[in-house]
Amino acid sequence: MSGNNSILSVKNLNFSYGKKKILDNVSFDVGKEDFISILGPNGAGKSTLVNLISSVLKEYEGGIEVGGRNLKELNSMDIAKMIAVVPQYTNPGFSFTVTEMVMMGRNPYISRFGVERKEDFVAAGTAMEKAKISAFANRKFSELSGGEKQRVIIAQALAQDSSILLLDEPTSHLDINFQIEFINLFLSLNRKGEKTIIGIFHDINLAIQNSKKIMLLKEGRIFSFGRGEDIINRESIKSVFGSDVFVGRNPITRNLYVSPVFNPATDRSIAGPAVNKYLKVHVIGGGGAASPVINLLHSSGYRVSCGVINTLDTDLDTAQMLGISYVNEAPFSPISIDSQNKNLRFIEYSDAVILPTVEFGPGNFSNLVSVKKAVGLRKKVIIIDEKGIRKRDHTGGKAEKLYRKIIKDGAIVVKSVDQVLGCL
Amino acid sequence: METGRKTLKYIFILIILLILMVIVASSIGSAKIGLKDTSLILASFIPGINHFIDTARLDLREIVIISQIRIPRIFLSIFVGIALASAGVIFQGLFRNPMADPFVIGVSAGAALGATIGLVFVKDIGLLNISTTTVFALFGALATTFLVYGISRIKGKVSVITLLLSGIALSAMLSAMTYLIMIFKTHDMAKIVFWIMGGFTSASWSNFIILAPVVTTLVIISGFFMRDLNIISLGDERAAQLGVQVDRVKKILLVLASLIAAAAVSMSGIIGFVGLITPHILRLLVGSDHKILYPTSAIAGGIVLLMSDTLARTVLMPREIPVGIITSIVGVPFFLYLLVKSKRQIF
Repeated sequence: MSGNNSILSVKNLNFSYGKKKILDNVSFDVGKEDFISILGPNGAGKSTLVNLISSVLKEYEGGIEVGGRNLKELNSMDIAKMIAVVPQYTNPGFSFTVTEMVMMGRNPYISRFGVERKEDFVAAGTAMEKAKISAFANRKFSELSGGEKQRVIIAQALAQDSSILLLDEPTSHLDINFQIEFINLFLSLNRKGEKTIIGIFHDINLAIQNSKKIMLLKEGRIFSFGRGEDIINRESIKSVFGSDVFVGRNPITRNLYVSPVFNPATDRSIAGPAVNKYLKVHVIGGGGAASPVINLLHSSGYRVSCGVINTLDTDLDTAQMLGISYVNEAPFSPISIDSQNKNLRFIEYSDAVILPTVEFGPGNFSNLVSVKKAVGLRKKVIIIDEKGIRKRDHTGGKAEKLYRKIIKDGAIVVKSVDQVLGCL
Repeated sequence: METGRKTLKYIFILIILLILMVIVASSIGSAKIGLKDTSLILASFIPGINHFIDTARLDLREIVIISQIRIPRIFLSIFVGIALASAGVIFQGLFRNPMADPFVIGVSAGAALGATIGLVFVKDIGLLNISTTTVFALFGALATTFLVYGISRIKGKVSVITLLLSGIALSAMLSAMTYLIMIFKTHDMAKIVFWIMGGFTSASWSNFIILAPVVTTLVIISGFFMRDLNIISLGDERAAQLGVQVDRVKKILLVLASLIAAAAVSMSGIIGFVGLITPHILRLLVGSDHKILYPTSAIAGGIVLLMSDTLARTVLMPREIPVGIITSIVGVPFFLYLLVKSKRQIF
């Protein structure tokens, strides 16, 4: 990897606070066009890594080379010309104006005995334009909002005219509009070839969507480093963060996204009424209607299965992400006898069957027939009816008739998903 | 460009004020000399201008009063004011704390103990024509500074919190030792108290000639670190990211400001308020940029102390009031007035 395109090269980097090892033999290369996100839990060593690269921390073992030069042989001014940092917060001890703050970014270019020159004012002005703060150049930094303050700090870092921009959770305390604005700014700087970006982001999805490469740090070591597509999955997140997540795709952008699985059953502090973990619940799927209840039951600790669902159906994605058993059918095809029988077998082994607010047509009418059989088998049947059967009967009354019969035979009807747990 | 011009404008105004204040201060006193005569006498001291002044028309007695009595005292108070205000700006900047003053790390208590020992136990040693009290006060101030600094150095880094705490602790101990000497030597108590309260009653050219070059050099050297001081106020980590050698700059400024404060306190005793509040007043007027704040505060410190000393020696003539009392009684209400009127956030 360390070709001539490499701008930053870290080799066998070790760092300890006293006896506690913070970074353990970390090596990686960063290319000029890279946009790298460092992900990892608190204490994984992310901020330490940023502080070492920016030379805030100096007592390390191993090598850090910037633009082919050893960091230890460079003075602090030269380093600040090559590497700029956008920190999480900045709290000046005094009330400086916005211009004064941005001009501090020019410090590496001004000698101790010199004064600001024309090019310093030009660079500060350009940085302020990019960060959209020219309009309040003369205001006091202390009087700005959190997002505006961070714009000023970004301008301060841009005024350094560095080739590398290190981001240390720059948006973690800001509203979503500022998050989007800043990420777009960083992306455009990166795409124009102005900046190599290495960032710590609080938000995994923000990181995955925008970076070219992801570094997963765990306990001071690189767990994996590569394209998000290749290294972000349920297992890697589980072993780095210790959390259960879904890794799916955004339906619009097809980007990976990670979303946490809340699991109250394993966390006693937030567990609701005790649940019978061994209770098997089968959910009738279709058109995404089953996903909320599948998620609820799964996260509450029930053993959940689902059927019959067509391939490409959202409910199938949900079942796959959660790793539960399911019965599926070819895309856009009516349910075959074979699938229906498989579904019935699941029902036989279940303690309860749930029918969410599914739309019924000729293709999936047989699912309703299976529910009728479940009632016949004296299974507990819970119907979630959020909009009435008539509106979602596309079989000319056939489904409605059967549906009413199921209710008459003893199925429980609830109005919303969250009432289901109370009936089990 | 912009900053430079703004700085020059403020400095120009302040220097005009200072010159006017020097003329006023030279003219008033137990022997009243008219402002016009005073101006002419002062101008006659300035090389280049003195050719244009007809010295024969001036009263010789007045020339002697101004040149031998008033001017040394005026210049000494200006330079002590410059020293106190400069050290105040540096300490407030380094500690990011509005409560910091030139004596924050124990310089005053050390100087007081040194002066007390000098006053009570030592006969005049006549070193360089400076009074023994001054020499001992300087030694006390420097010894305390380096002790506090040594305590606060951990692995080559200076911890600001340790510095403040050890300064306060050591001050308490040194003050207690001063009091102990005072109760055993009650007949010297008045002398000691008068020294501690601060003033320029014993001002002479010999003191000024030693103080002025030292203070001027240290104040100018410190001035080259004001951009760093601005950036250090963003926090050590951020300052390092912006290319400042934080530990080195902090050490240099701590030593320089302590030396400045020690020089001032050994010449004049402990004059409170000037070093604490002058920087605050200037921050309200010129803003927080140390590149402007530092030189303007320095000159303003000179003006403030000169004004205070002039009041101190004239308000209750022929009696003199220690200047520290004036700085506090007159200066604090003025500062509070500015604070309430501006309602601007300076920290």
